[in-house]
Amino acid sequence: MSLQINLQGAVMDFWTMKIGGWSMTVGELVTFVLIIAVTVVIARIIRVNTRRVMKERMPRNTLSNLEKLVYYGIISIGFVIALSSIGFSLSGLLVAGGIMGIVIGFASQTVVSNLISGLFLIVEKPIKVGDSVNINDVAGVVEDVRILSTTIRTFDGIYTRLPNDKVFSSNIQNYVAHGARRFAYSIGIRYRDDADKAKEVIEGLLGTHPLILKEPAPQVFVDELGNSSVNLKVRMWAPSTHWYGVYTEMLWKIKVALEDNGIQIPFPQRVVWFEDTLKGDITTRQQEKT
Amino acid sequence: MSPVFGTYDLNVELSEQDIELSVKGDGKRKRYYRRAGDEEVEKYVNADRGKLIVCPVEPVNAPDESISEHLLIELERPLLIEPGSTDTFFLKFPVEIGSFLVDPTDVERIDIFTLTQPKYTLYGPPESGIVCKWWKSDVYSQAPAVDRLFEGVLRVKITNNYREWMELGKMVFGAFDMKIFYNEHAYMDACLTIEKRTIGETSFNARKPKGMHRAVDIYQAKGLKKLEKSYVIEWGFK
Repeated sequence: MSLQINLQGAVMDFWTMKIGGWSMTVGELVTFVLIIAVTVVIARIIRVNTRRVMKERMPRNTLSNLEKLVYYGIISIGFVIALSSIGFSLSGLLVAGGIMGIVIGFASQTVVSNLISGLFLIVEKPIKVGDSVNINDVAGVVEDVRILSTTIRTFDGIYTRLPNDKVFSSNIQNYVAHGARRFAYSIGIRYRDDADKAKEVIEGLLGTHPLILKEPAPQVFVDELGNSSVNLKVRMWAPSTHWYGVYTEMLWKIKVALEDNGIQIPFPQRVVWFEDTLKGDITTRQQEKT
Repeated sequence: MSPVFGTYDLNVELSEQDIELSVKGDGKRKRYYRRAGDEEVEKYVNADRGKLIVCPVEPVNAPDESISEHLLIELERPLLIEPGSTDTFFLKFPVEIGSFLVDPTDVERIDIFTLTQPKYTLYGPPESGIVCKWWKSDVYSQAPAVDRLFEGVLRVKITNNYREWMELGKMVFGAFDMKIFYNEHAYMDACLTIEKRTIGETSFNARKPKGMHRAVDIYQAKGLKKLEKSYVIEWGFK
């Protein structure tokens, strides 16, 4: 005694489900679902424990990749076991998978492009999780490098997902790939101020800051004789991971130090020479105003 | 009031030079206070057992432990070493002081501070070099006298395995395997082996000298002990 429902070529029996020439009992289906569910649970537990144990023992990027490897590896094994439990031929799956792969590859070139780019990004490692980067004019901290996309938390806290093919083909600026980086200020002083003294004051200030590197040594030099000021260029190196704090701190400190030593940063100004003596009675006009 | 370095019960007041440190309070709830120069730190400590250890730590943790894991000591005057020789010299290194809560099962860092003026430098080229904590020292043939809250004594056995005379202007040490000891002052015992003109290796001797205490190893306390037991100098000694 059985109830049969025809649904797009699939014949479903209350106890047996048939798809084409392949059939599966409800018991097998339950076993399949159970194995997948248990596998997912086990994979999650192992992933969480892997993170817990390894968190302080390896870099964040490596840990993230290890977690994914463990998680998807266990799920893949569970899936294969689940398929075997319902009598599904794995050799058939491989052939079907190969053909399907070609079909899907043609049908979804963008996805495949992202996938291949993702693999290259993981192997080449131009960016790592936690790096400060600028990719395609998106600047921020790399949150994750996945197989299809890269996620970045911009410096103003916005979640941004970039497809991997865009990441791979873009100019990538990694601000922390090297241990140290250089930055510079341009500072104008009055023409009547002593530029050598200004250099001495700035160099002294840079020398006392812990994070301004001793080597490569900071550089302070007259860069330009500007319209309103003598422009000094101040270049310094700081650890890549901490440069921004130094950058935001030092400009004001330099300004204060220069002023403490009687050196002023001038306003824009223009000297106007009159060919003839000015005609007019300034005194009278001042009296008029008062 | 007692000198700073040592192991103490959890109700204590310490003071030496420009450092004040105390853990005080009734019952379980206590207040940790530390002043070093102008810098002050206050924390609550909820404990009725355990001890306070104040000792020198790896000198790469202040002002920020995430900046560097290496110490570069620049020599005030270069040292020329003849080929095939082994000799022992003494340097000074900057002292950083750590305070820790310890009980038989765990060590917890409370605070790390220094009276020295920290400075960092880049060792190697910008594209591949490493940021190191920087210190300048003269070279001594005997252990120099030091101001114990500012500087410690670093004994270095230098072996020149290279076929030529070598001029040393700097030495780089990895902090991961530093072994610090203390009594009156902080002390480390290191080896530098020169292999080629620009390549060498530095490592630390773990054997505790007689009459000294072993300092708390921060990396071990954090479970971060690396497998490397030495640092390979790649970019020369000048």
